[in-house]
Amino acid sequence: MNRMTIPIGPQHPALKEPLSFLLTVEGERIVESALRIGYVHRGLERIFQDRSYVQNVHVVERVCGICSHIHTTTYCQGVEALLGLEVPPRALYLRTLLCELERIHSHMLWLGVLAEHIGFTTIFMYAWRDREIVLDIMEELSGGRVAHAVNVLGGVRIDVNQEQAHSILGRLDELERQIETFLGVIQHERTFQARTRDVGHLSVEQVRRYCVVGPVARASGVDVDLRRDAPYAAYDRLDFRVITTQAGDVWARTVVRALESIESLRMCRQLLKGLPEGPLAARASRRVPPGEVVSRCEAPRGELVYYIRSDGSDRPARVKVRTPTLTTLITLPDQLRGINTADVPTVLSGVDLCIACADR
Amino acid sequence: MNVDAVLEALRETLPSVALEPRTFPMDETLITLPPDCVHPAVGLLVERFDLRHLSTITGEDTGDEIALLYHFWDGRGLTLRTSLPREDARIATVTDLIPGATFYEREVSEMLGVVFDGHPNLHALLLPDDWEGEPPLRRQEERQ
Amino acid sequence: MLHKIDRFTRQVVRWARRKSPWVLHFNSGGCNGCDIEIVDLLTPRYDVERLGILKEASPRHADILLCTGPVTRQSRDRLRRIYEQMPAPRWVVAVGSCSCSGGVFRGGYNVLGGIDQVLPVDMYVPGCPCRPEAIIEGLVQLLETIK
Repeated sequence: MNRMTIPIGPQHPALKEPLSFLLTVEGERIVESALRIGYVHRGLERIFQDRSYVQNVHVVERVCGICSHIHTTTYCQGVEALLGLEVPPRALYLRTLLCELERIHSHMLWLGVLAEHIGFTTIFMYAWRDREIVLDIMEELSGGRVAHAVNVLGGVRIDVNQEQAHSILGRLDELERQIETFLGVIQHERTFQARTRDVGHLSVEQVRRYCVVGPVARASGVDVDLRRDAPYAAYDRLDFRVITTQAGDVWARTVVRALESIESLRMCRQLLKGLPEGPLAARASRRVPPGEVVSRCEAPRGELVYYIRSDGSDRPARVKVRTPTLTTLITLPDQLRGINTADVPTVLSGVDLCIACADR
Repeated sequence: MNVDAVLEALRETLPSVALEPRTFPMDETLITLPPDCVHPAVGLLVERFDLRHLSTITGEDTGDEIALLYHFWDGRGLTLRTSLPREDARIATVTDLIPGATFYEREVSEMLGVVFDGHPNLHALLLPDDWEGEPPLRRQEERQ
Repeated sequence: MLHKIDRFTRQVVRWARRKSPWVLHFNSGGCNGCDIEIVDLLTPRYDVERLGILKEASPRHADILLCTGPVTRQSRDRLRRIYEQMPAPRWVVAVGSCSCSGGVFRGGYNVLGGIDQVLPVDMYVPGCPCRPEAIIEGLVQLLETIK
């Protein structure tokens, strides 16, 4: 059979962000694939060196629009460690609250995008409609739906009063009922399972070989979650489960993310009910004493790492960012090999790519 | 990860190297190695301790040298630091031991001009096809 | 007689174009914040389909190009090619502060600036990220000018 090369991207309806693939196909089967990223490379690591630590909080927020808060959390945490600052407990709780709300919004966004790509437009519309509940909560707390600017060096700049907390808890209950409905669809709806089961399979060995992180790793049975294994912010005070499954395919990843969203809701309730009194931020000096730090957080897509080196001035000497999407991108040639062209959007959506994160 | 056990094993395998371990936030231990000891050290971590999660490889042009930091994590952080000369930055690849390092080495290569001997595909990862000029993270003289 | 038919046909086409503009969304280097707000326009709360706006898959079917993000070196030629594939008359809307001017990334070694460095822009919608209401307002104002 003759081989044909199909280019996909950088502009393509199946891609929300620009990246390009060259798929080599034989009939309907993918034989090989080549990946090209870099369309969203803004040279952020160089930009960080030219801005002060305080200015960088705002730049770091815009590495990625979907997981903006976790980027600022990881960065601020690292710089606070270099400054030797003790962040007040109330600030840690609020920081964690936004982290978990962001995880829910990210997973629901992803569920809608996956559903749209497999033709299940109803779930896309429902998921994004219910996601608005989370965006409204984040907007009430911070003033922004997508970019929140909640973190400052030393703590947070927002606060929650009793009335707001009570209203948020009510809406979280509503959201949990909706997510339970989606979970029901994922677990029982046969057409959904027919599209997502046994597609894009990754074994435990592949996950370990490529250093994959996040829900993709947990869906293949690798039990790693930084919130439990190396707790940061307020996670050491929370009671939650880490969700893993064994199937390792797109369906497993969907189940993991849906169950994680429900765990996140439970964590949000614990955070709101147990919010300690106290100040919102410690005072941070402009100049950071010389040192280095490796700051790790569990972003919605997995382990997010910031290495920051300071040289005593008010600007960082080096900020290195490694985002979780890089670890899943590298598995794509393996996942795409041997599948039908019709399953390509499913596989691409299944890994929850965030190219803005990967390219920086 | 039992950091002491790892350090002891490294001292046994590389007796001539003064590892100079030091710790920094957040629960990270850093040891310094000459460039030709990095591959054997990573081999030891993978084979004897099953320590295969490489978070990333950081490269930095400090002005005097090109520093490479290999960040490992297994409950706690372990960073291997090595130093390459600026004019001839070459080091053996670790992708034969940890295939997940492919993208990290490619990025360090294009951003700092480091050559990883034995890497399967050192083409540009993030920089555009028509990039002309110095590797972008090489120190420019005007930085105050 | 032919002249009257021709003029009438042109009026109908212009009315259809204004009542049902088809948009193409392209991210030329942005952080994705504005992109998710653009996709949000299709969802039940904002529902731009009631204004006749449909998101199209191919540039050859689109009237309006909704562009987000600053232009990176790698995206520049692709952006131009997409614009050239759109049949005239076509309009470009720069959504978000980055596409207007480069935003926080201005000055980066791989960033050329806003969309107007590469394409003629008809409407600038600032915001970081841009709210869906602002994008709708920008599109509605653009449609007013198409009369």
